[in-house]
Amino acid sequence: MKRRIAVAAALAATLLGAAACGTSSDSDDVTTSASGAVSGAGKTVKVWLMVDAESSWKNVVDDATKRFTAATGAQVNIEYQQWANHLTKLDATLAGSDVPDVVELGNTEFSKYVFNGGFTALNKTDFENSDSWLTGLSGACELDGKTYCVPYYAGARVMIYRTDLFKSAGISAAPTTYADFLADADKLAAAKKSDSKFGPVYMPTNWYAAMSWVKATGGDIAVKNGDKWEGQLEQPKSIEGLQRWIDLVKKYSKADPAKDENDQAAIFSQGEAGIFYGNTWEKGAAEQVKKDPNDPNSKLVNTKVFGKLATAPMPETPSFLGGSNLGVTEKSANKALAAQWIKYFTDSTSMQGLIEKGVLPNSTALLDKAAAQKGSEAAAAAAKSSWFTPNAEKWADVEKATVMQQMLRDILTGKKSTADAAKWADGQINTILNES
Amino acid sequence: MVATAPGRASRKSATPAPRRKAAPDSDGTVTVGRSKAGTFFANLAGIVFFVIMIFPVYWVINTAFKPGPEVLQFTPSFIPEHPTLDNFVSAFKAPLFKEDLLNGLIVTVLAVIGALVVGFMAALAIARFQFYGRKAIILVVLAVQLVPFLALLIPLFLMLQKANLTNSLIGVSITYLVLILPYTVWTLRGFIAAIPRELDEAALIDGCSRFQTFWRIILPLTGPGLVATSVYGFIQAWNEFIIINTLNSPQKQNLMAWLLQNQTNRGTAWGPLMAGAIITSIPVVIFFLMIQRNIAAGLTAGAVKG
Amino acid sequence: MYAVDSPTTRKSPAPPGGVAPHRGGGHKRRPRRRKGDLRTPWLLALPALIALAGLLGYPLYRMIILSFQNMRLRELLTGRTPPWVGFDQYTKVLTDPVFWTVVRRTVIFTVVSVVISVLLGLAVALLMRRVHRRVRLLMIIAMMFVWAMPQLVAAQIFKWMTDADFGVVNYLIDKLPFVSFKDHSWFLSPTQGWVVITALVVWAGVPFLAITLNAGLTQVPKELLEAATVDGATAWQALRNITLPILRPLIIIVTTLSVIWNFGLFTQPWVLRDSKVEQEYQTLATYAYTQAFGRSNYSLGSAISVITVLLMLGVMAFYIRQMFKIGEVD
Repeated sequence: MKRRIAVAAALAATLLGAAACGTSSDSDDVTTSASGAVSGAGKTVKVWLMVDAESSWKNVVDDATKRFTAATGAQVNIEYQQWANHLTKLDATLAGSDVPDVVELGNTEFSKYVFNGGFTALNKTDFENSDSWLTGLSGACELDGKTYCVPYYAGARVMIYRTDLFKSAGISAAPTTYADFLADADKLAAAKKSDSKFGPVYMPTNWYAAMSWVKATGGDIAVKNGDKWEGQLEQPKSIEGLQRWIDLVKKYSKADPAKDENDQAAIFSQGEAGIFYGNTWEKGAAEQVKKDPNDPNSKLVNTKVFGKLATAPMPETPSFLGGSNLGVTEKSANKALAAQWIKYFTDSTSMQGLIEKGVLPNSTALLDKAAAQKGSEAAAAAAKSSWFTPNAEKWADVEKATVMQQMLRDILTGKKSTADAAKWADGQINTILNES
Repeated sequence: MVATAPGRASRKSATPAPRRKAAPDSDGTVTVGRSKAGTFFANLAGIVFFVIMIFPVYWVINTAFKPGPEVLQFTPSFIPEHPTLDNFVSAFKAPLFKEDLLNGLIVTVLAVIGALVVGFMAALAIARFQFYGRKAIILVVLAVQLVPFLALLIPLFLMLQKANLTNSLIGVSITYLVLILPYTVWTLRGFIAAIPRELDEAALIDGCSRFQTFWRIILPLTGPGLVATSVYGFIQAWNEFIIINTLNSPQKQNLMAWLLQNQTNRGTAWGPLMAGAIITSIPVVIFFLMIQRNIAAGLTAGAVKG
Repeated sequence: MYAVDSPTTRKSPAPPGGVAPHRGGGHKRRPRRRKGDLRTPWLLALPALIALAGLLGYPLYRMIILSFQNMRLRELLTGRTPPWVGFDQYTKVLTDPVFWTVVRRTVIFTVVSVVISVLLGLAVALLMRRVHRRVRLLMIIAMMFVWAMPQLVAAQIFKWMTDADFGVVNYLIDKLPFVSFKDHSWFLSPTQGWVVITALVVWAGVPFLAITLNAGLTQVPKELLEAATVDGATAWQALRNITLPILRPLIIIVTTLSVIWNFGLFTQPWVLRDSKVEQEYQTLATYAYTQAFGRSNYSLGSAISVITVLLMLGVMAFYIRQMFKIGEVD
């Protein structure tokens, strides 16, 4: 009897939520529940996931979907999106009426849509491990005390290095202090002096890395003073970190500064560098490539550096917590079902599946399990001291305007001094973040 | 423009090369008064031009036949050391490749045929009639080619969605049709205008209706024009990727969009990308080869009549 | 850049012995047109007009309206009517120094690339008439393949060839003595990056220009040239005084078309910079797109697009006048 009322209440809440679609989102006081029985027979939930799920952990997706369908009777239609254009597609689609029910976005991308009413409020307690969610992921989801998305997975950047080169250069173990790190880089360079193509550290214009260096010296990107955002890159502590990164690139890296970190695993696998800074899965990507890149189930072929790589946390450097969240769109016609699917896809079973694929789960409580997973120890440790981009509504615009990359390139090419470039970047950040 | 020289025609030329050949290939070299050395250097320049022009094409083909590890060598190989068809197979087996190939063909063919039909009619109107508003229509057709289509993406999307035409091949076909329509109208207009009105008049006097005149006389004579504009239209529609990317789901993309998606977040797979690029280019190349004689004829249509 | 068009060759005099009879013939016959014909042309043109009005006209109208409003993501997602801000967006755009940098860059690129393209196209067209039959065939084959290659593919292959780590261009240049080009980054310095982009655009555009101009060259009466040679003119003089004047209308047309196409450059910088176009590589088209979709500033993007169209109308007016002059349109 009680259950029937609860179901009715849940349904009513869903209908109310659905009715609120299209009108001012300020009046949306109801949150969508992801618990309780919902009948989804004959309905299809449309899910937008990014390609990473398809190519790396499709089994987790399939498993969660199976359990969801068994519980609710609803079907699931999954579309895998590309990183290059998914936001444009999302904008166009959300403007219309045929919207996806569940959408995955990068954690830095969520704030913008949450602020602008793109996603509907959810019942936080419905989701497993929600009390220990990684704040780097959940920060983008919280607004005015409500939760608008669910953390999905995370990746932390670590140091990936060549064990064989370390040995032949006389380095016995991965460095644990930044000074050691630099000393090791020197040793690597000395051991490979004759190879003109060799650069001890492969570091392209990776702004996440540069900002990690900024955070390491106590600097910051931007803070909110009252209701105005202020860029902090020109502060002395930030400049110190920036300069450290610039010095590292200039002295030890042969990477093309016009490139970003997209292809770094492939380039590193050619064997002309000793260390690079990337996500844990990039170690696997550097060691093995798919024989048929288009086939998700293709055989793997070893590269030149297979079996020669290991990971370790980058000493004294907090890692950027990259990752994705999942949200239920405000215009969705199947909010409760969508929320349920997310529940299954982010519960502990699914998280275990993700851990086994080498990515980090969405909560600190599970980080120890992740650390137990071979290959993820460094990442799990790094995740404990991680940072996140400023939780500003317009942060995604700063990224779109490539402000960070521009600043770093200006310094590397000598166009601006570090201080001038940082000042320019702050100006841009202030303008964009505080734009009304 | 070519308002010259009825009088000059009487002057005998040193080289008896006939002037009235329709195909510009067979005749052509102007060798009167040219030195042998000049010809030699010209030929050399021509060959250098060929090499430079074809090099990127050759590089696409070269890369497409290399296995992955060989592609990523620091020392590029100019002939694949381990030639393989794997990249092509990979492309064909790739998810959605065949579907996207089919989608692209459908959308392109529909758009081109539609544009030809609609454009021919409009071109007829402009070229064969004097009527109130004619100049305005011409102005619109000319001016509309300036509009950056991309800027219209969101209003276009919203409009098509209301009509339930998003995520459909028909919606994209219609959009492409409109994309290539202005150029089609303008070009066909020129071809039709070059057909002498006397033919129309003669046919009308002989008892043909207006419609029959168009169908039996003008349409066949516009043949080269139709071919020329269909080439343009085909290339435009086949190559487009931004519009179809925005309007349709990943399941309903064309081959160009498929190519763009080959860049995963794990780095670019160059071998399969180049193989895909070749496959994507083949229909256009075939189309070109089929009509290349007609391109030349189309270009010089009317130039050597009478 | 794939137009197969040569209006001047099309407009040739059809009845023999006439000088520009097209215009004459049409005028003579005009009084004989029946008034009842008024319906037919409109009926014929109607489908095209409906298609244009519907899918081009209406979105265009909406885009102009958008440029006078302030539409951001919130309005897009919730369907709220964006607030009316009059000329605010235009003021923002026209007072933004970045916008003017982008305009300057687009104009400079257009001028440089069109001049190089047309000159090269003309040179190749002239060369084609001069070489042995077989060499000409080679040239045409190469141009056909290049012309047939989709823009996207061409951009990707140029990206691959100029790759800093694996690109064949670096490898080849490095082979030159005294030159060290290993790992050279082509896109770090915008000047070099634009060299690559311009090379790509010129390379892809030469086939259309060369083949069109070549077709125009076939119209230059051989008797004229031969007579000039017999009269003692050098090849250069013949070119300057006979060929070029005859070719002039065609050259103007292809130049204007090239200007219009190159001014709206989008795909090449987009692909060469991996969809993340840095400020130094922005053209008007990529700038408008980034503002509209990247920054969800749809109104600002619309304003930029409107301004771009107005800028191009200047060139367009020239094109239209030229078409009128040639007698295409009476």
